Amino acid sequence: MFDKGVVRRRRAALAICVALSVALLTAYFGESGGGVLHTLQRGAQEALAPIETGAGRALKPLRDLFGWAGDTIEAKKENKRLKGELERLRGELAQAETARRDARQLRGLVGLQRDDGFPRGTQPVTARVIARSPTVWYSSVKVDKGASDGVKVDQPVLASGGLAGKITRVTGGTAEVTLLTDASSAVSAQIMPQGANGIVKPEVGNPRDLLLDFVEKGRRVTHGTTVVTSGFTSSRVESLFPRGIPIGRVTQVDLDEVELYQRVHLKPFADLRRIDFVQVLTARGRPASATAGLTP
Amino acid sequence: MILTPSAFLRVGLLLLLALVLQLSAVGQIGLLGGHFDLTPLVVAAVAYYGGSMAGSAAGFTMGFMIDVAAGQTMGSSSLVLTAVGYAVGRYRELRDPAHGLLPVPIGAAATAAWVTAFAAVSFMLDIGATVSPVVIRQMVVTVLLNALLSLPVFAACRRVLRPSLMVDPADVRRRRRPPRETGPLGLRGLEV
Repeated sequence: MFDKGVVRRRRAALAICVALSVALLTAYFGESGGGVLHTLQRGAQEALAPIETGAGRALKPLRDLFGWAGDTIEAKKENKRLKGELERLRGELAQAETARRDARQLRGLVGLQRDDGFPRGTQPVTARVIARSPTVWYSSVKVDKGASDGVKVDQPVLASGGLAGKITRVTGGTAEVTLLTDASSAVSAQIMPQGANGIVKPEVGNPRDLLLDFVEKGRRVTHGTTVVTSGFTSSRVESLFPRGIPIGRVTQVDLDEVELYQRVHLKPFADLRRIDFVQVLTARGRPASATAGLTP
Repeated sequence: MILTPSAFLRVGLLLLLALVLQLSAVGQIGLLGGHFDLTPLVVAAVAYYGGSMAGSAAGFTMGFMIDVAAGQTMGSSSLVLTAVGYAVGRYRELRDPAHGLLPVPIGAAATAAWVTAFAAVSFMLDIGATVSPVVIRQMVVTVLLNALLSLPVFAACRRVLRPSLMVDPADVRRRRRPPRETGPLGLRGLEV
């Protein structure tokens, strides 16, 4: 019924494609970050960047149209929640104003200097998102600023509201941002004002939920409190993220009697599903201990 | 599929266009928690019109381009899309289907296979984090959204590939129409 030559060619094509895929997988895992395949990825990203930028801008109205439809569906629920939050924040604002006045006086007493801007001592570079990873398993975006703009690997990235991720790959004019929701992501964090420490990790597939893991069981964690980067510094290692970048708000605490640690769920401040612009912190923030000795 | 330089060029440009659109625009359109995904649809369309050999080659090429452009683990997408392209192509060769709405189930099945198999490969290779059950809803919504998108995508791919096709399913469908049984006597029983 079938020509034997055709059958052979068909099977050979399949075998070659599968063998090449397996060889690529093996080689990719076997080589270092500077290997041929990684270099090929960087080169291809550099070459595709102008096309992706153009296409992204041209098709933005279409994205916005679909985004608007999705937003409308969620708007009512969001509105109700925000009204409740506004009421609560009004009360907190009054308390914060009082605390701020007190803190200003205390700072003057102990001779601390506070820089303007946030986080302290960093140099933000604003970048536009030009491409996004097509699967939920790898949560990364590509931005239109790269090494020529001072962007380097491991620099923190902020989106509107809070921490978004870090730079993991840089070319001349583009950079890849691995988001907090990527499976490989982990950020040392602290719950404010309680001060409990933990590691923020993603719950893969759910960009609205992050997990703060390794929080000591005895520590009291309150619903609605803010989680920020802890920016720890020791003699050997230093956190990539400066201290004090807001990450999210506590939404739920899992108390498992068997586990040594409690697991805290966070809702990230940055909407990681729809990011159009990000800020890359291209200079290291000064740790708190560095500013403690300064005099005004 | 007639393998000429023109055919390779057409398929290559089609895959490149789909990749750029997916990364810069379509992938960012979220609806009901899912996303449109052009990549399995275009591979399925090439396989449907071009057969299993073209399908597996297109699947490998598309997967390779995704992994390179999106910075993912190289080889994972190409492995899965090769299988998807080959399977759709073989279905076409064995069953020779010609129904006009067939791109809808084929697009949905190809997308379901792609998201499921890619999830499995990712799990086996380098996903060590907790996985939310929401991911299953996302996969289901993506399959449904792609099913809606499959007719226009298949039609566009057919238009691009048509000069290189040996057999066009639309022509097969036309040939299978029943002969006329009404009208002038001289035309009855004839395909006119």
